[in-house]
Amino acid sequence: MMSIVPKPQATELSFEEVAAKYPQFPRLLLLKTDLQRRGVYYTKQALSKVDPAIHQLGGTHIFGTRDGVLTQRPEALILRDGTSVITSPTPLEQNPYIVDFRDGRLVVTDGGVELEEIEYWTKPDYYNLTTSSGIPMSHVASARPQRLYLMPSRYCHFWTDNQGCLFCDIVNNLKRQKTEINLPGRLKPEDVAETVREALKEPGRFTAICLTSGSDFHGAEDFDAEVDYYIEILKAIGENFATPKFPSQLIATAFTEKQLERIYRETGLLSYTPDIEVLNERLFEWICSGKARWVGYQEWKRRMVRAVEIFGRGRVNTCIVAGVELAKPHGFQDEAEALQAVLAEAEDLASQGVSTVYTVWVPRPGSYLRGQKNASLEYYVRLALGLQELRQKYQLSIDHDDYRRCGNHPDSDLARICQL
Amino acid sequence: MSITFSNELVELLTKKDTVKVIATTDALGTPHVVVKDSLQLNESNQLIYFELLESSQTNKNLVHSIWFNRPVAVALIGSGGESYQIKGKPVKAIVSGLLFRDYYIKIREQLGDVDLAAVWVIEPFEVIDQRFDTRSQEEAIRHPYFKHLDRLAK
Repeated sequence: MMSIVPKPQATELSFEEVAAKYPQFPRLLLLKTDLQRRGVYYTKQALSKVDPAIHQLGGTHIFGTRDGVLTQRPEALILRDGTSVITSPTPLEQNPYIVDFRDGRLVVTDGGVELEEIEYWTKPDYYNLTTSSGIPMSHVASARPQRLYLMPSRYCHFWTDNQGCLFCDIVNNLKRQKTEINLPGRLKPEDVAETVREALKEPGRFTAICLTSGSDFHGAEDFDAEVDYYIEILKAIGENFATPKFPSQLIATAFTEKQLERIYRETGLLSYTPDIEVLNERLFEWICSGKARWVGYQEWKRRMVRAVEIFGRGRVNTCIVAGVELAKPHGFQDEAEALQAVLAEAEDLASQGVSTVYTVWVPRPGSYLRGQKNASLEYYVRLALGLQELRQKYQLSIDHDDYRRCGNHPDSDLARICQL
Repeated sequence: MSITFSNELVELLTKKDTVKVIATTDALGTPHVVVKDSLQLNESNQLIYFELLESSQTNKNLVHSIWFNRPVAVALIGSGGESYQIKGKPVKAIVSGLLFRDYYIKIREQLGDVDLAAVWVIEPFEVIDQRFDTRSQEEAIRHPYFKHLDRLAK
């Protein structure tokens, strides 16, 4: 792999400096992390190699892109070690990596220097089909190289009271998706059952099913409506399996024990991921005011720990939007301080059986925190190493949210070489 | 590819009674050696093998090798006494896509209800004829001191 022309910020280490300082961090994962941190720009030549009959194009993801455009471009890249990189097309003025086509190959470049050969994701067979009710199956379930991804309800009710998470743009993105590609905001169980049935026909394509939606606090008890809907959807999915349980993950609100016991008992769900988004109570209340109001930081943590008793160790984790803890004006002002605080909270959770993974914060134009800057590459490397070390220390596997079952967490990619 | 395989070596890789072994190391350098019957050549004269188990130590070691550019070794032992060692580096892990699907179908046709974690592509950079006769002749020429004198006595 050739050296990258460094473009350091005033106090940030360049790519090569980070690589030299942390030789234990794989270079391919370092590139993945930085691709997500800085974004990508596809040249015309690179886009000319997109074949809609073969490749998977973006536009249906729950989150929007950095350039705010819904035009279909490759949803993601895959590196030669099988690592996926979900990319956010980014305007050139924001200094993204460039995806180009050179000498018969698709490559990632920086400063004109070729770094790695890449491939585009291939789309699954079911993307060519529509449900009996006329909905394109690609609008019912999105695909990753090995994950079937359902977003049954794309509206988050926290937004109704202007209490959506500040980094999030799902409601603004949904408005655009409804207008431009007629994406349904809420799925019917029968469409889900039919789509999953078709998806499973493709041999070797999927190893897990993941569900995520916006929060819905309605119901006899708070969030019962969200729970009821997930149970409906999970039962519809389960109709297609010969086994009572199937490799699956639910990324949802932190539910009560009673609600979780219902979900676990009544469906084939195997793992649970209530995203806490930011591991700091003060910042949680600022950034996730809806989650803070309806559940609260300490109660969110408590519910995650109790979930371990229901789903088992290694089956409950939480995700944070890494870097948002540095958001202005109320975030940490020092990366070292932020890292220490985040890892301390992550260790508290890990000691009680809850693993933490991260996604790289992508400041999207449709979010409140648009225009801000995410963390340094070094921060993301240290955080990834720290989180994986915690998993090893507390013997927590992360099979359900790893490179293959998800592919969006640089830290859990590290688990590929660990025996847990 | 920087090396060329002899016809004998190519044939060894296709024979069912050839014993095929891969040696890898983990992050601490601990070796791990296992038989991998699926080792074969692809159309680009690279070694490939079908990893059926995601959790296998070989699989993890190969990830480590591709991440940190470390070599692995393959040994081939033929029923006629042929013996070769091939050193190479993993250059690609095929874990998804159309080619993976083809491999997945193929291995399940051959072995039944198995899974496929990855198809590893190993770029060879050295081939060593490990037959005793070959090696002892090489040693006799290059290292004439490496023998006991009683063997030379009248």
